[in-house]
Amino acid sequence: METSELLQLAIAGLKNGSIYALLALGFTIVYAATNVINFAQGEFYMLGGMFAVYAFTQFELPLLVSVPLAVLVVAGIGMLFETLAIRPRKDAEPMALIIITVGGSLVFASLARHAFGSDALPLPEFTAGPSFLFAGAAIERQTVWIWGIVLVTVAGLTFLYSKTRLGRAMRACMQNREAARLMGIDTARVVMISFGLAAALGAVAGVAVTPLTSTRFDIGAGIAVKGFAAAILGGLGSPLAAVAGGLLLGLIEQAVIPFSSALKDVVALGVLLAVLFLRPQGLFRRARREKM
Amino acid sequence: MRGSIRAIAIIALTIGVAITPFVMTDRYILRILTFVGINLIMVAGLSLLFGYAGQISLGQAAFYGLGAYTSGYLAKAGVPWLLALVGGVAVAAIGGLLIALPSLRLKGHYLAMATLGFGEIMLFFFTETESVTGGSNGLRGIPAASIGPLEFATPVAKYFLVWSVVAIVLVLAANIVRRRPGRALRAIHGSETGAQACGIDTVRVKIQVFVLSAGLGGLAGVLYAHYVGFVSPSTFTLHYSLILVTMVALGGMGSLGGAVAGTVLLTLLPYVDAIIPGLPRSTVELIQDWTNDIYGMVLILVMLFMPRGLAGWATSLVGRLGGRDRAGGSVHQGGGA
Amino acid sequence: MSMLSVKGITKRFGGVTAVDDVSFEVFEGTIHAVIGPNGAGKSTAFNVMTGFDRPDEGSVVFEGATITGMRPHRIVRLGVVRTFQNTMLFDEMTALENVLVGMHARTRVGFLGAALSLPGVRAEERLVREQAHRILRLVDMDDVHAVPAGDLPHGQRRLLEIARALATEPRIMLLDEPAAGLNNVETAQLGETLRRIRDTGVTVVIVEHDMGLVMEVSDEIVVLNEGRKIAEGPPLLIQKDPAVIEAYLGEEAPDA
Repeated sequence: METSELLQLAIAGLKNGSIYALLALGFTIVYAATNVINFAQGEFYMLGGMFAVYAFTQFELPLLVSVPLAVLVVAGIGMLFETLAIRPRKDAEPMALIIITVGGSLVFASLARHAFGSDALPLPEFTAGPSFLFAGAAIERQTVWIWGIVLVTVAGLTFLYSKTRLGRAMRACMQNREAARLMGIDTARVVMISFGLAAALGAVAGVAVTPLTSTRFDIGAGIAVKGFAAAILGGLGSPLAAVAGGLLLGLIEQAVIPFSSALKDVVALGVLLAVLFLRPQGLFRRARREKM
Repeated sequence: MRGSIRAIAIIALTIGVAITPFVMTDRYILRILTFVGINLIMVAGLSLLFGYAGQISLGQAAFYGLGAYTSGYLAKAGVPWLLALVGGVAVAAIGGLLIALPSLRLKGHYLAMATLGFGEIMLFFFTETESVTGGSNGLRGIPAASIGPLEFATPVAKYFLVWSVVAIVLVLAANIVRRRPGRALRAIHGSETGAQACGIDTVRVKIQVFVLSAGLGGLAGVLYAHYVGFVSPSTFTLHYSLILVTMVALGGMGSLGGAVAGTVLLTLLPYVDAIIPGLPRSTVELIQDWTNDIYGMVLILVMLFMPRGLAGWATSLVGRLGGRDRAGGSVHQGGGA
Repeated sequence: MSMLSVKGITKRFGGVTAVDDVSFEVFEGTIHAVIGPNGAGKSTAFNVMTGFDRPDEGSVVFEGATITGMRPHRIVRLGVVRTFQNTMLFDEMTALENVLVGMHARTRVGFLGAALSLPGVRAEERLVREQAHRILRLVDMDDVHAVPAGDLPHGQRRLLEIARALATEPRIMLLDEPAAGLNNVETAQLGETLRRIRDTGVTVVIVEHDMGLVMEVSDEIVVLNEGRKIAEGPPLLIQKDPAVIEAYLGEEAPDA
């Protein structure tokens, strides 16, 4: 295989991987705040694209307005979902909460079909124009957007966690929710904001990728599995590990394409099972002993 | 009191199931009721695994598919139906064992995701291994079930075949849950540490119940394949697995009877017109259009407002009718021990 | 010969040594107490002795067989059973069902046998139910046999866990703070129950904070402090042991 082809695969891997990274961040943030895996995370991704398309085509708002608007709306939906469906049972056994988010995933997908129909909906690229050429490989403009968005997001999250009161509260909750509550941190608020943030991250990913793939009411579950695989690779702990997990998964997927392009779609599943069975603590963390 | 109500209900249901094909000759209704039966077999297995032992599985559709494809393939190759059935159940059970061994060390969401991932991988193989499964076109021309010269070719015969299996499965499952193994399952759900401290080999019991529920899934798949005569990947989706979980949750964790009720209700939901004949067409279409929203809302609302499901609700109703509550006043009188 | 020997067990968590080279012997037919200030390593020692934790060094020998590293249910089947500091009951199951689960290891019926109602299944079921009622009567709880464990008051939950442990037909019982959260009357009754259990031939080991109870019922006491054994002997000697008094300074003094 030629270098330019390899490069092309690497570019595609880092593009998809960036999307997985954003979803993995969403899983990780909610998990850190609540110990819940949010099975509706993929629907936030779907809704992000949907609302952007809707604002752009129905209200004819410019893309630069439609996109952030969609992200804000989905963040609101995430917080609303937490308030209505998670908070009332927040002390229930994890399984009850898993089931609630599974129910949420069904409802969101289904409502989206009622609202937006069952066709695939396209969105134009954020900036039109020909692809960039780099050492014989083509980079679509939207791919550059995606990378930029991921960089800005990671920088923003890093700032949030290290420099703001809210971020410190979130980190305290991550370490030990009970202790954080005793220290006077409003953990209920942290949990709600975590859901909103995770929903926003999902929506950002969905909006950013819709110009390349278009969106449909039923794409949430498929992407959620990949995002979760990435999150598990990263160990469901540190946000940076989640991003690394996403990029790694994207690259692994592309790495199998030369052998069998059909396999690409199960790679994430294979990675998911392999990590769960062999290294449930993720690639980057040392095994933690369970305390009685 | 409660025992006799239950006995009367079971007898009435059995008679109802037995005479239905003679009263309702409409093929549409028979077909739907046969699907109710097939779902009941699926849910009986999931109820033991999820409802009793508290081990969530979001991949039950995979075992359904393994049973259906294996048996369909064998029967098309000329293998007698009973052998094809054994093959289908065995392959599903072995699939269950293979995924149970590594998964059951995992808890909660990890187990949920592992089983979900397994289901999606199986769906991929159903679609991609075209030489065996017919790919996305599916496997066509699967012969109807037959035992020697006895062929289950008519809708009524198929109905009775499925419901006979349902009756057997439910009786066996009911026997399990009220004896030692059933208590072990509920103990594992209640506190795995506590169960170990009682001498229960929790790993072994969890693997047993996982394999059992996979085998029952395979059995339902076998019946499905020979009932419809055609299987394709679109049947064995995550969506179907989620609906099965919804049925158990609606019925109530740790209640076989509840799971049966949940299954009947939710299976019939999109086919309300078959049950309530006079219903206007527009209403039926509205319900069908909103079926998935209803399933999702049922999951959320049950978890929020009636975590014991239909069974818990029925128990308290019977208790009130009988003039005593479940925990019957004895809760606070024993204070000093 | 001793029934249970703890031989030089050490258990570390990260940099902390929770149990440090602790050895002691428990003799058949006695009530043996393990005491010590908070964080002395008592519960960790219990976890190691019952298979819920593996020691980094040392071993535990029960009636001549090394049980270290065995999984908990195997150890229960040998006759070593425990209760927990935070009761681990099956809250959705009734008191009777909790005790029935305790009889799991002593009974045989499996999935197939139960499903097919093979001969003997009904007889076994009748037998275990009778026995379970008998065990509940032993702790004066048969009147609440149909109440879900989650609905029972705290004192009865402690007793029910002991009843469930008895149902495993143990040779030796390890009770982790059985008096925690009990009032004086309940604690006195617990002491009575413990002696009754010992008199039926079951050896008892308790980790306990209630010094009154410990001094009253124990035949032998082991004192741990910061993971190490600092004293061992009958109650009267332990009360006067300067090392023990030293360890408890700043904590509650042994006040029996």
